[in-house]
Amino acid sequence: MYFSDLGTIALILALCFALYALIAAVLGAIRDSAPLIASAKRSALMVTFFLLVASAALIASFLTHDFGVNYVAQHSNLAMPWYYTTAAFYGGQEGSLLYWGLMLAVFAAIFVLTSRRVSAALVPYVIATLMGIEAFLLLMLMSVSNPFVRVHGAPPPDGNGLNPLLMDPGMLIHPPMLLMGYMSFAVPFAFAVAALIKGELGSEWLRTIRRWTLASWSIQTTGLILGAWWAYHVLGWGGYWGWDPVENAALLPWLTATAFLHSTMVQERRGMLKGWNLCLVIASFALSIFGTFEVRSGIINSVHSFAYSAVGPYFLAFLFIILVFSTALFLCRLPKLRPEHEFDSVLSREGIFLLNNLLLLGVTFATLWGTLFPLISAALGKQTMTVGPPFYNHVNGPLLVLLILAMGVGPLLAWRRTSTHALWRNLSVPAVAAALCAAVLPLLGVNDVAANIGFSICMFTAGAILYELWRGVRVRHAHGEPYLLALYMLFNRYRQRYGGYLVHLGLVLLAVGVIGSHFFQVQQDAVLKSGQEMSIADYRLVYLGNIDMQEPAKQSITAQLQIWRDGQLQQYIYPGRVFYHNFADQPVSQISITTYGMVDLYVFLANWDGAGQATIRVFVNPLVPLVWYGGLLMLLGGITCWWPQRRKTLMHRSIAQPQLAKEVAV
Amino acid sequence: MQPALTVPTRKRIPWSFVLAGIAIFGAIFYLIYANTQANAVYYLTVSELRHCTICTVQSVRVAGVVQDGSIVRDDQRQLISFVMNDGKQSLPVAYTGVVPDIFRPGIQVVVEGHYSGQGPFQAQTLLAKCPSKFTTSTTH
Repeated sequence: MYFSDLGTIALILALCFALYALIAAVLGAIRDSAPLIASAKRSALMVTFFLLVASAALIASFLTHDFGVNYVAQHSNLAMPWYYTTAAFYGGQEGSLLYWGLMLAVFAAIFVLTSRRVSAALVPYVIATLMGIEAFLLLMLMSVSNPFVRVHGAPPPDGNGLNPLLMDPGMLIHPPMLLMGYMSFAVPFAFAVAALIKGELGSEWLRTIRRWTLASWSIQTTGLILGAWWAYHVLGWGGYWGWDPVENAALLPWLTATAFLHSTMVQERRGMLKGWNLCLVIASFALSIFGTFEVRSGIINSVHSFAYSAVGPYFLAFLFIILVFSTALFLCRLPKLRPEHEFDSVLSREGIFLLNNLLLLGVTFATLWGTLFPLISAALGKQTMTVGPPFYNHVNGPLLVLLILAMGVGPLLAWRRTSTHALWRNLSVPAVAAALCAAVLPLLGVNDVAANIGFSICMFTAGAILYELWRGVRVRHAHGEPYLLALYMLFNRYRQRYGGYLVHLGLVLLAVGVIGSHFFQVQQDAVLKSGQEMSIADYRLVYLGNIDMQEPAKQSITAQLQIWRDGQLQQYIYPGRVFYHNFADQPVSQISITTYGMVDLYVFLANWDGAGQATIRVFVNPLVPLVWYGGLLMLLGGITCWWPQRRKTLMHRSIAQPQLAKEVAV
Repeated sequence: MQPALTVPTRKRIPWSFVLAGIAIFGAIFYLIYANTQANAVYYLTVSELRHCTICTVQSVRVAGVVQDGSIVRDDQRQLISFVMNDGKQSLPVAYTGVVPDIFRPGIQVVVEGHYSGQGPFQAQTLLAKCPSKFTTSTTH
């Protein structure tokens, strides 16, 4: 018996338990039978157990180099180090589906183990929904996309190995994060379905679904940032985001989830937008399934390869079922989703949240439109047409800048309506900061009007957030707390609010980085012979020669260059190219990125001739490091929002809330 | 929320909301419409390109496979010319610039540029598709 047989058996058992859990949960809910529901919970845990067994079996097949397994033979070889061999687990289609199934099962297990905190009536339906999705994945894993299929005849002596582009530390964590993010949207979706079935959208439900969405959001943010970072460090075109259909697929659910996280606050405080929020949750999950379908079906022509595979149509069918099912459910429950209040004034917190939602959905729609444009234009009877990065930059750029402006104004507005007097008082400091920024930037050489507007609006919002923090700290300081403790207490007491500020600050930093690198990137190509040099911006590059290095599994060619700046030798750099022997026709670039302050010097070896000639492409990318710092700050903010409140503060909140409600009523 | 707070009567949405909403929607749709007009690029097959009348002024995209033995490089001037085939017809292409890592005979490429009807296709961009069994759903 091989490990792969164990894996197949585990998959079959997992499917049985998933189907049983689905039926038991629904029956238990209908008959109101606690033992049946408990049994459904236990079998959901069994599903997790068997998927863990199946995944362990696949990893074991990899580590024992069992090339009798087709998937192992195609994605690994004897020369790979153990960590890449393990990571090859999700390096291909079948394995990544298994990883999906595993992640969903793990989320289901976490849900089951923490389900005591959730309204009891919803639990069985959440389990049933999750198990329904799990059963679909398991069916796919056992039929069209089985990682445990064995080769006919004798196993090959060695495998094909992993694609060298994937042999990068970024690859160890980026795909699992993104896939986990995709799958995690299933839990909020399950909550939405459960709430729709029971017609129960209480404040407790809202808190739980928001925490799960925050978790998904944080995971997806990490995946997106890591993806951008990987592209920047590996692909060699000097950028980090290319608006490729695959990237867009990962961005779309993130956008709708972001919209949801904002509009739930309106529901929490004012009891409005209930139906809208449900739509956003459903859309997030549907978009993540759509992304999978798009990536794997090959319907859209991309620069990156879309592996055509048999799972595409099944995912489309699944997407269709999800949409029909949730739309029907939604329409049935529409009468129950009446708002408890009406909108009073545009200039209010709920008004700005609506604006935020419109803008985020605008970006979502534009991105989806651009991605699907080849299909749309072909369907309209004309030629197939495509839109490139300029389309996305010109549409999404202004919308994102507006969004950042709204981010600065929003937190200063009160619920219901804001007195303009108070608003002006709060806005004056950041507005002055933005005006100063707009005036000073041209003196520093920023002559592009669009870039200046973008930077100034970022300054405004950063100013508004920092000023808000400062005022909070000052109030606490006046009551006798030292400044640092006051800052800590603010974050500790009002996690949601101040975590949100952190995310906003992170996005502002990221936007500054994007604007900087978009408008002020400098690019230059040069063919150099030993001893020749080139100049770009403030830097001087002296080319010395090429180094050819032979290693057991690979050969690498690197050019040696010196970076000079202000007449001083800064350092030696070695941009190069690596050839893996079993992927000799697909070299991988080693890009040299050196950061000076906030400017990246990005050097790519494009071509070489013998030991003494090289063609290099150099980019000067200003402010790109801010993209990574901003991303990190966003993640930190997301985690701060998500971090559980201690019980004491929870009690404090529940006492405070009725008072608040009375205030609103008055 | 306490049930006493619910307002049973349904007010109309305030005018300010309607106007602001229309303004935002209008802006979004205008941006999408105008930029689609400005940035859409035709995606043609080689035979469609032969009959193309606007390709001298407008840039178009063509996809095909690089033919064996057709690549001629001039490294000093970073010039490269090759013949690509879309399964039915072939098309000579000229390109200046950095060539992607994986460019070689037999791979799928997408070129974008102008075509005057005579001579080679003048490519401004040359994109190579990754041909291997790279079947993950990772972003690149």
